[in-house]
Amino acid sequence: MNVALAAAMPLAPLAAALVGFLLRSRRSAAALAITATSAALLAAVILALRFDKPVSDGYRAADFVDLTVEFGVRVNGPTTLMALAVGAVALAVQVYSVTYLRDDDRYAPYAAQVSLFTAAMMTVVVASDLVQLLIGWEVMGICSYLLIGHDRRLPEAPRAAVKAFLVTRVGDVGFLLGIAVLGYHAGTFRIDDVLAHDYTGAQLTAACLLLLAGVAGKSAQFPLHTWLPDAMAGPTPISALIHAATMVAAGVYVVTQLFPLFAQAPAALTVLAVMAAITMLLGALAAMAQADIKRVLAWSTVSQLGYMTGALAVKAPGTAMFHLLTHAAFKALLFLAAGAVIHAVGSNLISVTGGLRRSMPATFAATTIGLAALAGLPPFSGFWSKEAILAAAMDEGTGPGWLVYVAGAATVALTGWYATSLWLQVFLGRPRSPAADHAHEPGPAMRYPVLLLAVPAALLGFAGLAGGFVDRLGPGAEEVGHLSAALVVPLGLALAGAAVAWVMWRRGRAADVPARALLADAFHLDAVQAAVVSRPVSALAGAVRRADETAVDGAVLGTGAAALRSGTVLAGAHRAALPRAAGAALGGALLLGLAAILLEWVR
Amino acid sequence: MNAVLVAVLVIPALGALASVVIRSDRAGRVAGTVAAALSLVAAALLAVDRAPATGDRLSPWHQVDVAWVPAVQLRFHVGVDGVSYPLVVLTALLTLLCCLYSLWQVPGERNGRQLVALLLVVEVGIVGVFLALDLILFFVFFELVLLPMYAIIAGWGGPERRAAARKFVLYTLFGSVILLVGLLVVVTGANTADLVTLTESSTLGANAQRIAFVLLAVGFAVKSPLWPLHTWLPDAHTEAPTVGSVILAGVLLKMGTYGLLRIGVGVAPDGARWASPVLAGLAVAAILVGGLVCLAQTELKRLIAYSSVGHMGFVLLGIATLTTTGFQAALIGNLAHGVITGLLFFLAGAIKDRAHTGDLGQLGGLRETAPVLAGLLGFAAIASLGLPGLAGFWGEAFAVVAAVQRGWPVAAVLAALGGALAAAYFLRLLRRATHGSAAPAVVGLSPLRRYELAAWVPLVLLAIALGLVPALALTPSAHPVRGLTAVTHAD
Amino acid sequence: MRIDHVALLPGYAAATTAVLVLVLDLLFPGRRGVVLAGAAVGAAATAALAFGLALSGDEARFAFCGSACSFTVDGRAAALMGVFALVTLGVLGLSATTRAPMGEHCFLLACSMTGGVVLAGAADLITLIVALETLTLPLYVLVGLRRTLVSADAAVTFLVVSVVATAVSLLGAGLLYASTGAVHFGQMNAAAKDPSLRPLAVVGCVLLLGGLGFKVAAVPLHAWAPPTYDGAPLPVAAYLSTASKLGGVVALVYVSVEAVPFEHDVAVAALVVLALLTMTVGNLVALRQRRMVRLLAWSSIAQAGYILAALAVPDGGATALTYAVFFVALELAAFAAVVALRTPAPVEADARVLVPAGGAPAVPAAPAPQVIDDGGTLADYAGAARGAPWRSAALVLALAGLAGLPPGIAGLFAKVAVVRSLVDSDATWLAVIVALNAVVGLAYYVRAGAGLFAPAEPGTPVRWPRPHWTIAVTTALIALVALVIGFAPQIVFDAAAAR
Repeated sequence: MNVALAAAMPLAPLAAALVGFLLRSRRSAAALAITATSAALLAAVILALRFDKPVSDGYRAADFVDLTVEFGVRVNGPTTLMALAVGAVALAVQVYSVTYLRDDDRYAPYAAQVSLFTAAMMTVVVASDLVQLLIGWEVMGICSYLLIGHDRRLPEAPRAAVKAFLVTRVGDVGFLLGIAVLGYHAGTFRIDDVLAHDYTGAQLTAACLLLLAGVAGKSAQFPLHTWLPDAMAGPTPISALIHAATMVAAGVYVVTQLFPLFAQAPAALTVLAVMAAITMLLGALAAMAQADIKRVLAWSTVSQLGYMTGALAVKAPGTAMFHLLTHAAFKALLFLAAGAVIHAVGSNLISVTGGLRRSMPATFAATTIGLAALAGLPPFSGFWSKEAILAAAMDEGTGPGWLVYVAGAATVALTGWYATSLWLQVFLGRPRSPAADHAHEPGPAMRYPVLLLAVPAALLGFAGLAGGFVDRLGPGAEEVGHLSAALVVPLGLALAGAAVAWVMWRRGRAADVPARALLADAFHLDAVQAAVVSRPVSALAGAVRRADETAVDGAVLGTGAAALRSGTVLAGAHRAALPRAAGAALGGALLLGLAAILLEWVR
Repeated sequence: MNAVLVAVLVIPALGALASVVIRSDRAGRVAGTVAAALSLVAAALLAVDRAPATGDRLSPWHQVDVAWVPAVQLRFHVGVDGVSYPLVVLTALLTLLCCLYSLWQVPGERNGRQLVALLLVVEVGIVGVFLALDLILFFVFFELVLLPMYAIIAGWGGPERRAAARKFVLYTLFGSVILLVGLLVVVTGANTADLVTLTESSTLGANAQRIAFVLLAVGFAVKSPLWPLHTWLPDAHTEAPTVGSVILAGVLLKMGTYGLLRIGVGVAPDGARWASPVLAGLAVAAILVGGLVCLAQTELKRLIAYSSVGHMGFVLLGIATLTTTGFQAALIGNLAHGVITGLLFFLAGAIKDRAHTGDLGQLGGLRETAPVLAGLLGFAAIASLGLPGLAGFWGEAFAVVAAVQRGWPVAAVLAALGGALAAAYFLRLLRRATHGSAAPAVVGLSPLRRYELAAWVPLVLLAIALGLVPALALTPSAHPVRGLTAVTHAD
Repeated sequence: MRIDHVALLPGYAAATTAVLVLVLDLLFPGRRGVVLAGAAVGAAATAALAFGLALSGDEARFAFCGSACSFTVDGRAAALMGVFALVTLGVLGLSATTRAPMGEHCFLLACSMTGGVVLAGAADLITLIVALETLTLPLYVLVGLRRTLVSADAAVTFLVVSVVATAVSLLGAGLLYASTGAVHFGQMNAAAKDPSLRPLAVVGCVLLLGGLGFKVAAVPLHAWAPPTYDGAPLPVAAYLSTASKLGGVVALVYVSVEAVPFEHDVAVAALVVLALLTMTVGNLVALRQRRMVRLLAWSSIAQAGYILAALAVPDGGATALTYAVFFVALELAAFAAVVALRTPAPVEADARVLVPAGGAPAVPAAPAPQVIDDGGTLADYAGAARGAPWRSAALVLALAGLAGLPPGIAGLFAKVAVVRSLVDSDATWLAVIVALNAVVGLAYYVRAGAGLFAPAEPGTPVRWPRPHWTIAVTTALIALVALVIGFAPQIVFDAAAAR
C-alpha cells in the first residue's frame, strides 16, 4: 500500500504531463494539472500518516548483464516529509499560475512542464536506485530550462535558461561519474545495496567528491551558484517552485539520503563545509546590494542553501532536512508574495514600491512572517532550524564545525539586515511611484496560496518540539527543538543587523551599501566564469572546427587531388607518337630482361 | 519461420523491382511502400517461436544455411538473434517511414518511384548485413548499399550533391575494401567464413588476429564513422535528401558499429583486446571533436551530422571497453541514435524545405511561427543530448560507466564532459533556431502536413519508450552479449 | 603421332566457319545478313562443341603426341574454347551495323576465333605462340578495315608495337628452348636441371612473359591499346578488349604456371612489378579520360593488372582465368551497351523533342544523328538514362561489375577471388594495393555511369533511336549472362579449376 502511494506521487504528475503536452485549451490543462498535483499531494499526505517503517521495492528496468538498474520506490522518514513539501508547493504554484499566466497563450504546455517538473522531483524523492534518481534529477534540469525560458518578452530569458541547464549539467558530469563509481564497485545501483556495500576509503572519497559536484550544481553552491539568480527570468511561480521545494532542494535531499557514505568521507565533508561557508556569506552579501525584489530573494536562497549544506558538513543531515522544510515554506511564501507585489506595481524594482502596507494588507502580513522567518526571528520557523544548525556546528567542534558556525553567525547578521531593509522599503514609508499608489491585492487564486503558506512559515518551527516529527527528519537531528543559551549570539546578531537596516532606512539611505557595485555583481563571478570557461571553450570549438575542415578533411581531399594530378601527368606522358610508343614497348621489354638478370645475380 | 527470414530480404527486393517496372509514378511509389510495410511485418515476426539458445556464444533464433559459392567459402547463411533483431526492425521501420514520406514528398518532384526503389534496395543491403552469418555474404550485402545510396544523394540531393555523393561513395568504398582484406585474412586463416563457427572457437593465431582486427576496425571505422575517418559524413548529410539523411544516419552507420562488435570483436577477440585502448582513445576524440565542432557549427544539417560523429563515438567507446555493460550500451546507443537522429533529420528537412535555409543565423523564433515544429525540434534535441528518461541516455551514460568499469577514468571523464558539450551545442541550436523573435526566413511557414506527423510520431514514441523501458532493447541482447565477453575475457 | 580428332573438333568447327563465311560472301555478294548469320551459326556450333567436350568426360584428350603431346584438351581448355567462341558470337551480334565490308569482317573474326580455340589447347611453346599470333594477326586488319584516317593510324600503331612484342616473346621462347632443350610444358620442367644455363633460362622466361604481357596490354607494353581501341570500329574494339585479352591471359597462365621450369621467384618478381605498374598506371590515367572507349581501354589495362597480381602467387592460375572470364563477360556487356547506345538504326528517329529550358519554342524534330560508330565522349551519353533506360541499365550494370560492386556481383566475386588468393599466400600487402586501386577505379566508373543520368541538353530527342534488332538482342543476352554468372559464379570457378 505504502509502495503504491509512493509510486503514485511521481506517476500521477507524469501522466498529467504527458497528456498535458497534447492539450490546447487552458481550462482543461489547468484542471488536469491541478487534479494530478492534488492527487500527488494527497498520496503524500496519506503516506505521511500511514508511514511506520522504511520500505523499498522495485523491478529490474535495465539489464547490463553484470550491472542492473532497477526502477522502484524507497520510503523513509525524510522521504515522507520531502514529498509533503514538494506536493504542497507544487499545488500552490499550479493554482497560483492559473491567474498569474491568465493572458499567456502558452499556458497549456507551461502547466504540463510544471507537472513534469513535479514528477521529476517526486522521482528524486522516492527513487530506490541511483540511476532512477539521476533520471529525475536531470529531467528536473531540463524542465527548469523550459520554464525559465518560457517568458517570450524577456530578451534575457533564453540565455538564463540555457545557463541554468548548462551549469547544472556540468555539475552532473561529476554526479554521473560518482554514481558510476559507486555502482561499479557495489555491482548494483540500488541505493540500499550501495549504502550497505563496504567501499575502500579512496573509493568513497572519490565518489562523494564527484557527487558533490552535482549537488553544488543543483543546490547552487559556490562555484556553481551563478545560474540561480539569473533564473529569476522565469515567471515568478517558477522561481518559487525552483527555490522552495524542488530543484535546489534536490541536492541537499540527496546528500541526506546518501549521508552514510559521506559520513565515512571526511575529506568530502571538509570540502562541503568550505563550500557552504563561502556560499552563505556570498549569497547574503550579494542579497544586500540587489535592487530587484526577486534577485534579493534569489541570493537569499543561495545563502540559505549554504546553511543546509553547512548542516550536512557538520554531520547533521536531519537538521539540514529541517531547515530545508522551513525554508521551503517561507521561501515559497516570499516568492508568491513578491509575485503579488510585482503584479501590483508592474515592476521588479524595489525603488518603485513603498508604503504597500495599507494597499496590500494580506500580502504585507504574509511577507512580514516570511521575512521574519528568513531573518531567523523567534518564534517563526526559520529561527528554530537555523538555531539547530548553529548548535550542531558548535557541537561538532572541529575545524569545519567552527568554520560553519562563524560563517553562519555572520550570515545571520547580514540576513537580518537585508530582510529588514527589504521589508521597510517595500511596505513602509510613502509610495515611491504612481503604480505603488494604486497598488491593490491580487485575486483570490493568488492570495490564498500565499496566506496558506504563511501558516507553515510561521509555525513549522514548533514541529521541532514534536518527537515523532524529529525522528522523521532522520539521523543528526538531535539539536532540533532544543534551545540553549548559545542562541543569544545569533539572535543578537540578527537584531543588530535589523537595527542597522532600520537606522539606514530612517536616514533615507537604505539602498547605499558599501562597495555596492561589487556586491551587486556578486564579486563579478559571472565574468570570471565567462573568462575561465565559456570563452576558452568557444575559442577551442572554433579552432577544432577549422582544424577538422582544413587538416583532417584537407588530407582526404588532398589525396583525391593528388591522384588526379598524377593521372594528368601520366596521361600526358602517353600522348606519344608511333615511334615513341614502339620504343617504349621495346625499352620496357629490355628493362624487364635486365631486371631479371640483375635479380639472378643478386641471388 | 526460416521462410520469414528469407522474406525479410526478398520482399523489399521485389518491392523495388515492382516500383521500377510499374509505369505510373504514383502506383510505383505505393507498391514500394506496401512492400516496405510487409517487410516490417516480417521483421517483427522474427521474434516469434525462437530456437532455444544452443551454444553460449552465438545462437540464432532462426537461421537459413545453403551453400552458394564454395570456391570462396561463401554460404548463404543468414540468421537473427538478440543483437541483430532490434536493428533489423529499426531498419524496416525507418525504410517504411521514408517510403511513406516519399509517397507525398520527393525533392524536385522527380521520379519518386525510383527513389522508393533505391530506398528498398538499401534496405535489403542493410538488413542483409545485420542478418548475415557468413563473412563473405556480409561483405556482399555491405557493398550492396553503396551504389544505391550514392544514387539517392546524387539524384535527389542539394546543390552540391555530386561532389558529396562522390566523396561518400569513394570514401566508404575505401573502407569496405580494407574490410574485405580483413575479412579474407580471417577466412583464409581460420579456413571458414562461418560466423557462428568463428565466434564459437576462434582458431586464429594472435598475430593474424591483430592484423585482421586492425583491417576490420579501419573498415568499420569509416562506415561508423570514427574520427578521423568521418569527413565524408557531414557533406553527405548536408546534401542528401531528407529520406537519404534519415536512412544514412538512422541505420546505415550502424552497419559499422554492428560489424565491429559482431565480427571485429567476435572473430578476433585477442586482436580486439590488444587494440581496444587505441579504439577507446579515438572514440573519446570523436566525442570531443564532434561536440566542439557542433559548438562552432552554423548549418543545421551539418550540426546534426557532426553530432552523429559524437554519438557514434560513445557507441564505439562502449565497444572498446569490451565489457558487457559497454556492449549493451553500444547496442542500445545504436538504436537510440537511429531513432533520434532519424527524427532530427526529418525535422531539419522539414525546416529547410520551408525556410529554404539551414543557416542558424537566418533561422530564429521558430516557436513563434511554428510552435509544433519547434516543440518537436526541442524534443528531438533534448533526446539527442542524452537526457535521462529518453532513449539517448542509456547508451551514453553506460558507455561512461563501462569506461569506469574497464578502469579508464580519464576516458570516462572526457566522455562525460562530451555529454555536457552535447547539451551545450543543442541548447545553442535551440536558442538560435526556436527562441527569440521570428526571423524573416521563418515567417509564414506552411503548416505541418499529416504525412509528416505520421512519419515522425512513431519515432517520438520510440524515443520515449526506449528511454522509459530500456529492457525492450537490452533484454534480447543480454545472452549474446554475455557470449561475446566470454570470448574477449578468455584469458 | 597419335591424334585424337575429337579433341580437335572445336578447332575444325572454327576453321570451317571461316571458310563458310568466304563461301557465303562469294555466293551472296552484298547480302550482309546472310554472311553474318553464317558466321554466327559457325561460332555457335564451335561453342556448342567446345562445351560438349567440356561436359563429355573427366579425362583429358590429346593430339599430336610424340614424346609429349602438343595439344591437350582438358575440362578447362574446352571451356576456354567455348568462351572464345561465345565472345566471337557476341561480337558478331554487335557487328550488324558496322560499316566495314561484312565478308572480310566476319572472315577475320572467324580466323581469330580459330586462333583462340587452338590456343586454349596449346601444350607447347610453339603451338602457343603460333595460336596466339593467329588470334592477333586478323585484328591488325580488322582495326583498319573502316578505312578512316583514325583507324588506319590505330592499325599501324597496333601492328608496329605488336611486332616488337612478338619479337620479344619469340626471343624469350628461343632462350628457354636453348636452355632447357624442350618446348613441351611438361618436359621443360623435367629438362631444367643444368644450373649453368639457369640465367639464360630466367631471362628467356622473363622476356617471354613480357612479350605476352603485350597481349594483355600490361604496362609498359600497353601504349598501343587506348588509341587502337578508340580508332577501331566498336565491335572490333570490343573483341580486342575481350577475346584478345583473354588470349593473352591464357598464354600467360600456361607459361607461368606450367611451362616456366624453376621455383617461381624470378617470374614472380617480374609479374609483381608488371602487376603493380599496370593496375596503378591504368587506373590513374583512366581518371583523366573523357572519351568512353578510351576510358574502357585504360580500365581494361588496370583490370589486366589485377590478373597479373593473381598470377604472381603460387597456383593463382585458376584465379587469374576466373577473373579473366568474369572480366570478359562484363567488358563485353559494357561494349555491347555502348554499341547499342551509339549506333542508331537506319533513319527513323523519334520526332518528340525536349523543350529547351527557359520555355523557348521547341526546335523542329532533330534528324537522327548521322551514324558515327565510335564511343564518343562521356558527355554524349547525357540523358541516356531517360532516353534509353534499358540500355543504360545494361551499361550501369557492366560498369558496376567492372568496379566490383553490386548489382554487378560477378565483378565483386572476381575481386574477392583475387584478393583472397593474394591473402591466402601471405601477399596481404599486395592485396591491400589491389584493394586501394579498386577505389581509384570506382572513381571513373562512377563518373562514366553518372554521365548517363546527366540531363540531356535541350534540342536532343527525348527517346533515343532504337538500335538494330540483332544488337538489341545481343546486348540483352550478354547483359543477362553477366548478371547471371554473378549469381552462379561457381560454374566459372569450377571450369577454371577443372583439369
